[in-house]
Amino acid sequence: MELFDNLLIGLSTALELKNLGFCLIGVLIGTAIGVLPGIGPIPTIALLLPFTFGMAPAGAMIMLAGIFYGAQYGGSTTAILVNVPGETSSVVTCLDGHQMARQGKAGLALAIAALSSFFAGTVATVVIALLSVPLAALALKFTAVEYFSLLVLGLIAAVVLAHGSVARSLSMVLLGLLLGLVGIDVSSGAARMTFGIPELSDGLDFVPVAMGMFGLAEIIANLERPAERHVVHQTVRGLIPSWADLKQAFPAMVRGTALGSALGVLPGGGAALPPFSSYALEKKLAKDPSRFGHGAIEGVAGPEAANNAGAQTSFIPLLTLGIPANALMALMIGALMMQGIQPGPQIMKEQPQLVWGVIASMWVGNLMLLVINLPLIGLWVSMLRIPYRLLFPAIVLFCCIGTYGIANSLFNVWLMLGCAAVGYFFIKVGVEPAPLLLGLVLGPQMEEYFRRAMLLSDGDFSVFLTRPISAGLLAVVALLLLALLSPIVVRGRKQALAE
Amino acid sequence: MTRLRLDWQDVLLGAFLVAVAAGALYATRTLSVGHAADMGPGYMPRVVSLALLGFGLFFLGRSIRGVAVTVEAVRLRPLIAVLAAVGVFALTAERLGLAIASVLTVLLAGLATRETRPLESIGFALLLSALAALLFIKVLALPVPLWPR
Repeated sequence: MELFDNLLIGLSTALELKNLGFCLIGVLIGTAIGVLPGIGPIPTIALLLPFTFGMAPAGAMIMLAGIFYGAQYGGSTTAILVNVPGETSSVVTCLDGHQMARQGKAGLALAIAALSSFFAGTVATVVIALLSVPLAALALKFTAVEYFSLLVLGLIAAVVLAHGSVARSLSMVLLGLLLGLVGIDVSSGAARMTFGIPELSDGLDFVPVAMGMFGLAEIIANLERPAERHVVHQTVRGLIPSWADLKQAFPAMVRGTALGSALGVLPGGGAALPPFSSYALEKKLAKDPSRFGHGAIEGVAGPEAANNAGAQTSFIPLLTLGIPANALMALMIGALMMQGIQPGPQIMKEQPQLVWGVIASMWVGNLMLLVINLPLIGLWVSMLRIPYRLLFPAIVLFCCIGTYGIANSLFNVWLMLGCAAVGYFFIKVGVEPAPLLLGLVLGPQMEEYFRRAMLLSDGDFSVFLTRPISAGLLAVVALLLLALLSPIVVRGRKQALAE
Repeated sequence: MTRLRLDWQDVLLGAFLVAVAAGALYATRTLSVGHAADMGPGYMPRVVSLALLGFGLFFLGRSIRGVAVTVEAVRLRPLIAVLAAVGVFALTAERLGLAIASVLTVLLAGLATRETRPLESIGFALLLSALAALLFIKVLALPVPLWPR
């Protein structure tokens, strides 16, 4: 019954009036940026981080989490109505969702997307609650050795499961680690790569890096492509699905939720991979696969459930082990650290209100999203009419002010400018910057654990292999890397990512 | 154009990584490395930079495998306009205040695309500037001057 106690603690935190408010603000912002193509949750959360300083940790995390899963809801709206994914995770929803809209069933598609997301969100909340306790208990046995191996596993898995070339992603992790080393070395006090710039002595702030590479570089690249947006001009009607529709969609919803929850927990998981896998699964299971791509309701229900479940369960590694599953979770770790909370297994014991409050708030937030999305759909549709020529200067301005706001320093604005240029370069040479952000956030921790592990073992590297848990973790790393070399997986991965 | 079939994406990325790694190795050359049991501040930078150097060289080597990959042409207009907008903000925010810096930033960013309409852009810039002042200075109490000092 510990589970109920925990959820009760969580609910009592999440239902506090001010936290309800933060949750609402979070999901509203999340839906808005989800609806708008061209701005994703990463720059948005980076932008809002500085302003969470003054808030209680629970409120801050509840709001930031709301932005993330709110964006999954919003992204599907754009995918269905405009055939442009509002977020990467809703790419698949375009396939059948937009077809449904063209057949005049936009309302039904939106309703199924929202209901699937809600169903998945509810189940995922329970999954998080169930898995968190045993995982955190296991993690309490960890020493520096196991932690180092765990971080290695997290980074490698994030690279393997993400899209793009593995070698390139690995090089980005290393680049991030290198950038993470900038600043005064904690144990010796020596300045490393600070080039005499006082602002660098505390290390590179990840907020300007994230905003430059994910926010501004994306804008520059977007402006190079010709703009095309065809909003389906129809009043959205028929928001209440019929029994027959629900019956058809429900099994897909359940399968999508299960798949999304499982894939989300994995390091490297998140909201991007699950919908693709779910779509492939539904297509395989369907009696008549040819319906897919022509407005199959399962093609909306499954992936939508999967991306939402994945988005939420990707919080599990963060809350229990303190390792981020993806770049967005890395930002959340940063948010915790800014609040003076060291993420890790001890966090569940020391901050039960925070952890369970965030978990319970996800369910509350999903309920809010259902209400926000269905009756208020007109509002979001009208937001889509804001032309990009007005949207992007506003984003540029808010990025500037937000970056300045972290430390009231103009240095960070210049840093963001540099990162925007580098980020643009990365887009041109076809590199994903997400692993870099992971490396940057995890770098200092990794060095610390490595140093401590080496102190413990007196400089003997074999310690990582002689300790059973650590050896197990590294074995998984080896398996992942080996699997990459095997031709079947390479082909399967290419297929999954190409679709 | 080129007779040699090069993967230009790999060439550029490789060169970039080699340059960064070399720079890092140079910048940390004076830090003591120590050894594994007693690491100096230069240990990790050295290890990571060398690995990065390895990746850079790997990409450079891979680029001549005979597959031609071109890099999409760079369009200067959006690149320069957006970067300049950020630069102008950095130069003016503390001297001229948020109100003026915001207007300048939005106007400059607007130049990134031909679609921008001058009158609309000016009106929008003024509106955003007022909004930013209200939100960031009044509500969130950001310590940045509103007007020139």
